[in-house]
Amino acid sequence: MGFAGNVEPCFILPTVVAVNDSFLNQPRTSNKSNWMTQYSAGVMADLDFFVGDEALSKSRSSSSYNLQYPIKNGQVENWDAMERFWQQCIFNYLRCDPEDHYFLLTESPLTPPESREYTGEIMFETFNVPGLYIAVQPVLALAAGYTTSKCELTGVVVDVGDGATHVVPVAEGYVIGSSIKSIPISGKDVTLFVQQLMRERGENVPPEDSFEVARQVKEMYCYTCSDIVKEFNKHDKDPSKYIKHWKGVKPKTGAPYSCDIGYERFLGPEVFFNPEIYNSDFTTPLPAVIDKCIQTAPIDTRRALYKNIVLSGGSTMFKDFHRRLQRDLKKIVDARVQASEARLGGEIKVSVSLVFVVHFCADGSLAPWRAHVLILPLVPTIGSQRSQPSHSEICSMVWRISACFNSRVLYVVASIDMHNPSRFKQACHTKAEYEEYGASICRTNPVFKGMY
Amino acid sequence: MIKVYHSSFVDEAGVTKACGCPLLPLKSHIKGPAPVSDQESTDIVDEAITFFRANVFFRNFDIKSSADKLLIYLTYYINTALKRLEGCRTLAEGTKAIINLGLEDVPVPGESGFPFPGLFSPPGSRKEGELFRNYLKQIREETSGRLLSVAYRSNGTPNKWWLAFAKRKFVNIVAF
Repeated sequence: MGFAGNVEPCFILPTVVAVNDSFLNQPRTSNKSNWMTQYSAGVMADLDFFVGDEALSKSRSSSSYNLQYPIKNGQVENWDAMERFWQQCIFNYLRCDPEDHYFLLTESPLTPPESREYTGEIMFETFNVPGLYIAVQPVLALAAGYTTSKCELTGVVVDVGDGATHVVPVAEGYVIGSSIKSIPISGKDVTLFVQQLMRERGENVPPEDSFEVARQVKEMYCYTCSDIVKEFNKHDKDPSKYIKHWKGVKPKTGAPYSCDIGYERFLGPEVFFNPEIYNSDFTTPLPAVIDKCIQTAPIDTRRALYKNIVLSGGSTMFKDFHRRLQRDLKKIVDARVQASEARLGGEIKVSVSLVFVVHFCADGSLAPWRAHVLILPLVPTIGSQRSQPSHSEICSMVWRISACFNSRVLYVVASIDMHNPSRFKQACHTKAEYEEYGASICRTNPVFKGMY
Repeated sequence: MIKVYHSSFVDEAGVTKACGCPLLPLKSHIKGPAPVSDQESTDIVDEAITFFRANVFFRNFDIKSSADKLLIYLTYYINTALKRLEGCRTLAEGTKAIINLGLEDVPVPGESGFPFPGLFSPPGSRKEGELFRNYLKQIREETSGRLLSVAYRSNGTPNKWWLAFAKRKFVNIVAF
């Protein structure tokens, strides 16, 4: 999260809330001492919670705090926890008065409108914000790739997060809703696969920590290879160069331990290109899904979509992920083009050189594996002629998205360049509208109106 | 787009066949029906061992040539052998376990106990069946020898990077 106008987000937190369960939901027949402590905790019981990194450390150190993850697979499941999370973010982290600032939140493209309505309700009722804009992540991702005022808003955004992976084609700033594809493989599955491989080899990792260790191993050591068998051979020939060591401390005893990291370094990200090795239910590799998605888009947009495939999401940050994706996708497309050329008997010349420009829209300098919430300040208007900005103008403001999405958090941080803040304000849902029409104004998002 | 690794022995001219499977040459000193191959080139056993660690992850295998059938059989055999090696702490124990595995009955297609019913065609005659059985015995012994040299380090301790694959189930068939 952060403020518009800044280059980087102010805070990056995992979306997790730790609640003190010993004070909440006490059964009536608890014994006297418990009742006394609950009574003395009194009003403060509700406020006794932590979010983000503090939550994780509190839950480890004391057993009375239970972790809740309000967001699953990119969608908010637990609105109470989400409200608490926002509360802490606004008052404790950003330390701003929500009534003074317009808010920008982002959401995943497949969010149901009810979700947007609840969000609007919470924001306007609980926090009394003056204006709210709920942006769709892929459009921001596309716009973030460019730093000039002219940005290309046609492309396919491949968002590979921790909980969900979506392939979203966007044409001229409008999301082609019917072509959105999602696959059940995401960063969490890579972590689970790494954990499984390490466990099969009998690595010396304490079992309660094994998921956390697998996650950190994934983030630090995993890379994408071009060919599995060649990688195995490389590992065999030169173990000192490829096998890494992980040193940790056992949480209960404090004793240090170390284990080896080997094949999972490249087998982890391989899950995206060969999902079969992890899960036999789903077997379509990511490049094939992207190809299918573009083929279901309107035919005149396809060339532009192939030209601009943007990667976002923490799990695309593996080294060489984009090169492998480009290579595999090119193979599929070339094969199809050649097949059709053969069918037509070579009469019609089809150009086989589709150029894929794959951008990263994640700023690698920041902690990439967490995600963020953005809040915008109210800024004085610079003056604008038009009363109602068109949708493309909103998107033509330059956004610089500073890090990746994590499926645990469905919101992304963007920091707006101070081009036309007044136009932005006009595009928001305002408190006045909310009071007039109710929460249903938040249901719509101009991005889905489409051009067809 | 299943990306298993296929055998390169696609050219089948001049190779004897049994049960729909070519009896490919081996770089082997062990006696058996296989033709002798060049000592410098890679044979089907080398291929099986090189591709094993990648192929063992896959649950579906599309067959590009009949040499692939042999590759599948060998991958399954390596999986079985690794399972036998799981408890063995030293090379000597491992060798003993493998010898025991080699002494067990080697079923041919059509007999119960053959792991891939339907993959190979049943033998046309008893002679063909026996020929195939001897070929399988020879190739198993050859594979075991080369596997032991890879699965155990030079000082005789087990190589955990290989033995981890004992827990994998190739094509979801549990190796007994």
